[in-house]
Parts: sequence; C-alpha cells; structure tokens
Amino acid sequence: MKSISFIFNKAPYGLQNSRELLDICLMSSAFEMPISVIFKEQGILQLLKNQQPEVLAMKNHSKTFQALELYGVEKVMICEESFKELNLNKADLLDIGTYANKETINQVIAHSHFVQML
Amino acid sequence: MAIFSLLVTANPYSQQGQFSALKFVQTAVEMGHQIKRVFFYADGVLVASRLNCPPSDEINLTKAWAKLAIQKDIELAVCVTAALKRGIVNQAEADRNALTGENLDPAFEITGLGQLTEAMLESERLITFG
Repeated sequence: MKSISFIFNKAPYGLQNSRELLDICLMSSAFEMPISVIFKEQGILQLLKNQQPEVLAMKNHSKTFQALELYGVEKVMICEESFKELNLNKADLLDIGTYANKETINQVIAHSHFVQML
Repeated sequence: MAIFSLLVTANPYSQQGQFSALKFVQTAVEMGHQIKRVFFYADGVLVASRLNCPPSDEINLTKAWAKLAIQKDIELAVCVTAALKRGIVNQAEADRNALTGENLDPAFEITGLGQLTEAMLESERLITFG
C-alpha cells in the first residue's frame, strides 16, 4: 500500500494553501492508505485554538483538523523545534497530535511514497 | 520508464510554475516516460480559461497546454471547486449555477479532487509545480 505525508508549514487564513491541502488530505483518506500529517514551521499556527476567521469572511477550517482522526488519519505529528521557536503553550493548541523532533519527522517523510505540501 | 502525475497550482501569468510544468511534460514524454494526468488546482486552474488573451509576443499557456494535450494525448484535469471559485466553468456548470457563459478550453476537463489522489496512486511520482 502506498503511503502519503501532508506537510502543513504555513500560517492559516492569510493564505488558503493549507485549507486546500487539507481538502486533498481528507479526499485521500477515502482511498484507505496510510496518511501522515505533519505540522512544522508556521504551520503549527494552524492548530491555534479560538481562531475567528469569520471576521475576515472566511470559513473556519481549524475545526476540520480535529476530524482527522475520524477520517482515519492515524499519524499526526507536530515539530517540537518549530513549536519551541514559536514560543507557544501546548494548551493553546488543538490536542490532535504527538510532538516529535525533526529527525523523526524527516524519517516519516523519507519513508512516504508521496509527500504533498502547498 | 516511469509514470508521472503533476499537480499544478501556480498562477499562470504571475508565477513560473505553469511553464516549468509544461516543459516537464514535454521532456518526460520525449524521453519515453508516461504522464498519467496533469491536475490543476488552486490558482493553477486559471490556465484552463480559453478567454486568457496575453499579448501576441508572449506565450499563451492555455493554447500551449491544449496543443501538448492533443499531440501527446495528455489528460488535463481541473478541480471543480477551485475552478468554480475562480470563474472557470464548462457548459454543465454554467447551467447548474445559472451563469451567463462558459469559458473552459476544450482540452481541459472539469473533475473532482479524487482524480488527483487516483492519479497519484497510479503513478510512481507526483510532482507539484507551485
């Protein structure tokens, strides 16, 4: 079975890239293949709680990340180094993944058949 | 020989990605590789409008893709959600959404996002041009 990793590396709502990537991710989950979702760099900000994109007339996709498990996405990883750089508290972020170091994340990426990032 | 699929998200006349994708497909086919599908997503869908009309001394990317698709039998798929948002419509979508016209170049086909994953699974490599 072919596996795929999705890398979220951009902050939400200023750009639509991550929402579009999330759509591909959810669609791919219907194909029953192993999916890894990785949040790194500014992408970790996707997981910040209490986003209010409605103010900007944008659809709130943050909640959709919480549904990843329901969609059968087993592996959700958050880059520890990026998390530290952003000076966030774990309590500020949606509790949907495990924190992993760059090396572990790079290994997951290296072992995936496909990698998508927008 | 390998089987490739492409994901093209680059804005046709603001970013270079579309032209790079075009050259990649041309070269890959010349070298005997197979292109399963070229999937246009995000701003990449804008290239599918046959109303794109760049100055005559600049490349017309829509026509360049169409020519390549016809000559080499390449499938050009356009994401329906991304396309409708950006005013890229075929007759069926125009009728369904009560729009005054259609503008999809006949070399392109409007499809769903599932076609991207399907193409990927039947390819050895998926290459993104953003």
